[in-house]
Amino acid sequence: MEFESCFDIIGPIMVGPSSSHTAGVVSIGKFVHELLDGCPEEADIIFYDSFAETYQGHGTDKALLGGLLGMNTDDSRIKHAIEMTHHYGLTYGIQLEGSCPYYDHPNTTFITARSKDSIVKVGGVSLGGGLSKIFMINGELVDIRLSTNDDISTLATHFSECVKKDTVLKGVV
Amino acid sequence: MMEIRSMRELIEITKLEKKSIGQIMLMKEEKKSGKDQETIIRMMEERLIKMKEAIDSGKNDPSPAPSGISGGDAVKMSQYVRRGKSLSGTYISDAMTFSLATSESNARMGVIVATPTAGAAGILPGVLFSLHENDGTPYEELVMGLFTASALGYVIANRSFISGAAGGCQAEVGSATAMAAGTIVELKGGTPEQAVNATAIAMKSLLGLVCDPVAGLVEVPCIKRNVIGTSIAFSAADLALAGIESRIPCDEVINAMYEVGKDMPRVLKETSLGGLAMTETGKKVKERLFSKKS
Repeated sequence: MEFESCFDIIGPIMVGPSSSHTAGVVSIGKFVHELLDGCPEEADIIFYDSFAETYQGHGTDKALLGGLLGMNTDDSRIKHAIEMTHHYGLTYGIQLEGSCPYYDHPNTTFITARSKDSIVKVGGVSLGGGLSKIFMINGELVDIRLSTNDDISTLATHFSECVKKDTVLKGVV
Repeated sequence: MMEIRSMRELIEITKLEKKSIGQIMLMKEEKKSGKDQETIIRMMEERLIKMKEAIDSGKNDPSPAPSGISGGDAVKMSQYVRRGKSLSGTYISDAMTFSLATSESNARMGVIVATPTAGAAGILPGVLFSLHENDGTPYEELVMGLFTASALGYVIANRSFISGAAGGCQAEVGSATAMAAGTIVELKGGTPEQAVNATAIAMKSLLGLVCDPVAGLVEVPCIKRNVIGTSIAFSAADLALAGIESRIPCDEVINAMYEVGKDMPRVLKETSLGGLAMTETGKKVKERLFSKKS
């Protein structure tokens, strides 16, 4: 049972236009932000399948960047997230691909984010209705359910040991 | 309390506990979250108020969405309804106006409440505030209606899907319309069985609907499908309140929705590679928008 609460169905309160392509993606970005304990300096983003085909129309890029900058789903600054990356010193690239090799769902993304001395590689899937899931951290399969009712910061602290120091991980990247 | 995996189980629990569908969902949330009823009701109330705010801002906003392909229709509809000549009657006409207002706000990246998704966010607020407008259903009852809707949506979402990318528009506007139909029935004093029948009838009417947004935007045809969803919700509710049953039980309808969605080709599931997105006009819009950006 992926959906557990009445607020998974009625909610989230969010900026439009899409709960799966906008709101759920903000949460994935926000999780990465919390893992790194702040805004990354660099992010390589892969959008798969439906995300790759329609990200411009849904503002999926703005949503993910907004989350990486630390915004929540109902933050009205999300529509300006691209411009705001400059202020926060975040440089990013977006790559578009077909089906995701790690997780069978059309709304998947993979983010490699780097802050001063840390790097983290996170796979996320947006399941619809604003609910999403982190399925991979640094090559390890995980199953972290993200609802906009959850405190993403607390969820992320349980996995902070996954954040490798850059030097340690370089060999395996 | 036992787990609610099907509409059949949901109806059984309402009988066992002698409570409405909405009350059962509220109890379930209390157990799951450990929060007290009052807190949970206040959280739901906040969502209702956000819905009202989206309607109020959208209803009077003639401005187009950034894409230029939607916006301004809520104002037109509202003016038309005020002239008193709409053919569908005030319940449906008001619901149509409110639904347009919400979905247009969504397209402008305004704040809305996903019910169950943002693409289908116009339907439930449309019917709820039409009930308020037309027969004075108080906000406390509308809040309980949101619990009813969430219970119905909870079963659908866990048995099937609610996103267009996973199951087509039938999963999105279809689910929202089905939830709205059952909610109207419960708010109008129907039994849980009647509410579930309305849910089934509404979902059957939208089975097979593809997700084909022009240029990948949640605007064309999504906004008008929300609007039409409100009228299907009222029709299905009327049928159920008249005592008419769905010949196919609701759980089987939901399973059928799942099977249809799985079999639906990828081009018709929110990839904008088929249907209306690939019409001559649809392609032109996409070209115009994305050549401007790059």
